[in-house]
Amino acid sequence: MFYKVLTTGMVMKRILGVFMLMMLLVGCSAEKSATDKKEGVVVATTGHIADVVKEIAGDHLSVSALMGPGVDPHLYKATQSDLSTLENAEVIFYNGLNLEAQMLDVFEQMAQEKTVLAVGDQLDKGKLLDDEEEEGELYDPHIWFNIDLWKQVVATVAETLVKEYPEHKDEFNANETAFLKKLDELQTYATERINEIPTKQRILVTAHDAFNYFGESQGFEVRGLQGLSTEAEYGVKDVQEMVDFLVDNKIKAIFVESSVSDKAMQAVIEGAKQKGHDVTIGGELFSDAMGAEGTEEGTYIGMYQHNIDTIVDALK
Amino acid sequence: MYALTVENLSVAYDKKIVLENANVTVPTGRLVAIIGPNGAGKSTFLKAILNQLPNKVGKIEILGKLFDPKSLVVGYVPQRNAVDWDFPTNALDIVLMGRYGHTGLFKRPSKQDKQLAMEALESVGMQEFAERSIGQLSGGQQQRVFLARALAQNATIYFLDEPFAGVDAATEKTIIDILKSLKAQGKSIFVVHHDLQTVKEYFDYTILLNKTILASGVTEDVFTPQQLQKTYGGKLFMMQETLGANNIC
Amino acid sequence: MLSGNLLWVMLGTMLLGTAAGITGTFSFLQKQSLVGDAAAHAALPGIAIAFLLTGQKDLPILIVGAAITSALSVYCIQWIVAFSKIKADAAIGLVLTVFFGIGVVFLTVVNHSPLGNQSGLNDFIFGKAATMTKVDLAWLFISATIIIIVSLLFYKEWKLLIFDPVYARGIGLPVEALKAILTVLIVLTIVTGIQSVGVILMSALLIIPAVSARLWTIKLSSMLILSAAIGGISGMLGTFISSMRTGLSTGPIIVLVASSIFFISYLISPAGRLNKYLRKIQFRKQGEVG
Repeated sequence: MFYKVLTTGMVMKRILGVFMLMMLLVGCSAEKSATDKKEGVVVATTGHIADVVKEIAGDHLSVSALMGPGVDPHLYKATQSDLSTLENAEVIFYNGLNLEAQMLDVFEQMAQEKTVLAVGDQLDKGKLLDDEEEEGELYDPHIWFNIDLWKQVVATVAETLVKEYPEHKDEFNANETAFLKKLDELQTYATERINEIPTKQRILVTAHDAFNYFGESQGFEVRGLQGLSTEAEYGVKDVQEMVDFLVDNKIKAIFVESSVSDKAMQAVIEGAKQKGHDVTIGGELFSDAMGAEGTEEGTYIGMYQHNIDTIVDALK
Repeated sequence: MYALTVENLSVAYDKKIVLENANVTVPTGRLVAIIGPNGAGKSTFLKAILNQLPNKVGKIEILGKLFDPKSLVVGYVPQRNAVDWDFPTNALDIVLMGRYGHTGLFKRPSKQDKQLAMEALESVGMQEFAERSIGQLSGGQQQRVFLARALAQNATIYFLDEPFAGVDAATEKTIIDILKSLKAQGKSIFVVHHDLQTVKEYFDYTILLNKTILASGVTEDVFTPQQLQKTYGGKLFMMQETLGANNIC
Repeated sequence: MLSGNLLWVMLGTMLLGTAAGITGTFSFLQKQSLVGDAAAHAALPGIAIAFLLTGQKDLPILIVGAAITSALSVYCIQWIVAFSKIKADAAIGLVLTVFFGIGVVFLTVVNHSPLGNQSGLNDFIFGKAATMTKVDLAWLFISATIIIIVSLLFYKEWKLLIFDPVYARGIGLPVEALKAILTVLIVLTIVTGIQSVGVILMSALLIIPAVSARLWTIKLSSMLILSAAIGGISGMLGTFISSMRTGLSTGPIIVLVASSIFFISYLISPAGRLNKYLRKIQFRKQGEVG
């Protein structure tokens, strides 16, 4: 009979098997990280920063981003393989301003051995937006949506890279200039397209408060359901207030984000519908992450353009 | 037809043999005592008969057939400590459970079911306690409720597990009177019994059990010093007084 | 005030509380309340694996995954107790932590993948009642209805099998099948509830209403109704309170309301502290007079 064959030993073996499966999973992801040190390895946290490094350094450096498309930096916890990746890097860039909230200890540790730079922390605090709830203490970290601020970030990154790899100084500076020019063109494009939206309709509603810099620099009123971080709690009242906001301002479309669940937005839409106001989902925006690597939206400029186009097409 | 037929019954728990090669046949209409020392396997024997043990070897027939619980022919009265009396219900409700087999799945107990349950309570002298929460019953009262449940079931053959353990004299009298009246109705009753002093007085048939069935038969023939010696082994010296008082020789 | 979203969430959590009150009562009487805790935690790996395998974040698929691992955990506990020397409390602790640990590992894998955070799977840990939609409400209504109907159908059989399973088998009741149905109901409650209150707090809803109800009554039928009522009220009131300020998560507040009801019951119910104290005083008084 079955029960006679099964003994304590076999139960223990089964539990052991489960643990081994877990180890296997952890181990498999660890295999991905490179074990041999290469010349010129730079690691950035977000895709935006990695894109800047790539634009400046071209093929001279090996650049990678810890947080890929669809990954939420507010919640991201580094795994063992991430730590290996960071260990092998010569230079590390991260956003700072508490964006990578779960990784601060890691950066402190790495800073003792190599160059670690928080690009957001280098900016003039006067130009930054406050966290509404903690004025003067915490800043809104989503700086990449303000093109002017981002140009300063480009400059800082270039300066650091030139210091680290002086042999490539000329090329890096040339790339920097070219990229800054493209950013200016991006701003022109943005301004042109946004003019297609009547002033009254320039209200951007998203899942979390990622677009304050966008709103301030491009002339939008911005409203998110969750606060500055996707860690922020929100409840029924937040949903209700959002619904009222949509109805009162007769907003046509709201936007979901690639790295945040859209369930809350669905609930908001249903709530507005129940009050007799139809809102649609205008499209998916890239908020804390960018698109897939190799695609247009996987670059900073492509991502920004996609956002502009999506917003304008839905609201005009 | 025999009330109970057991052929070569063996039961093992965790590689330990608890019952080995037990054999007995008991005719109907007897009030049977099953006696033996602690750990002899008496409760196991009962559970095997009631088909509660999947890993047994041997053949058991009740009233000439293999045990079919749905026939409701077997009434089981467990030990009191087999359940948690903290359960939120009253005495009548427990007795009503004896009717569930007759009521059927998905149906509510009928008026008749409730009537029969009440009558069963009356027969054990507990009608005043019908609405009493079972957590408030004394040991003897609990035992009587269990017996009433089996009576409500209207079984033909009864198995009781130490019904007299720790009950007051009045309850003991009530129970044995009922058992005797059941016997008078032609029913068969098997009782795992612990008190050697009352065996001769209560039971007309006895089974001596210690890991196997050492003897079975009419009480007078079987309840002898030699048989008791074989069954209880070294514990017999405590029994001397008992035997002396009963004057069996 | 009681507009769309708030109304749906209040209705949904009321249905959940009612269902949890009923199944939790049977669980409590079987002395298996903590098994419900393990089963709730065990839903997490099922959700993550379902998402990883299918790439779909649709609720039905996630619920199926959750139900499978949840039910599996219950049987794992039974097997461990039956086939090893490990006792129930250790078995429950073991299964709970192992399953939950596996769930967290898979969730990490999900969070590192491109569609991960969009899936909203993280919300299953602490629940997100605020985002309840009409579809969620429909699911809760269906499962609450199923639970109530099945409980009515099997009421007397479950009563017997919980009180005295040996006697139940003796009169031919299909005890194993009935127990399995009860397990199914408990799992159903869990998987429909974790969206609102999360896997960690789900067990609170299964335990607190039942325990509170027990303090007030000595009849099973009353206990069931009272437990359902306490669960339902906790849901509604908890949701309402959480809607009074921004940034208040609904799940924990529901649990706080339920706990308050328990605390009050503990003090003022017939079986509670206050009455015990009053009776002691009465006793003493009688002693003095006599």
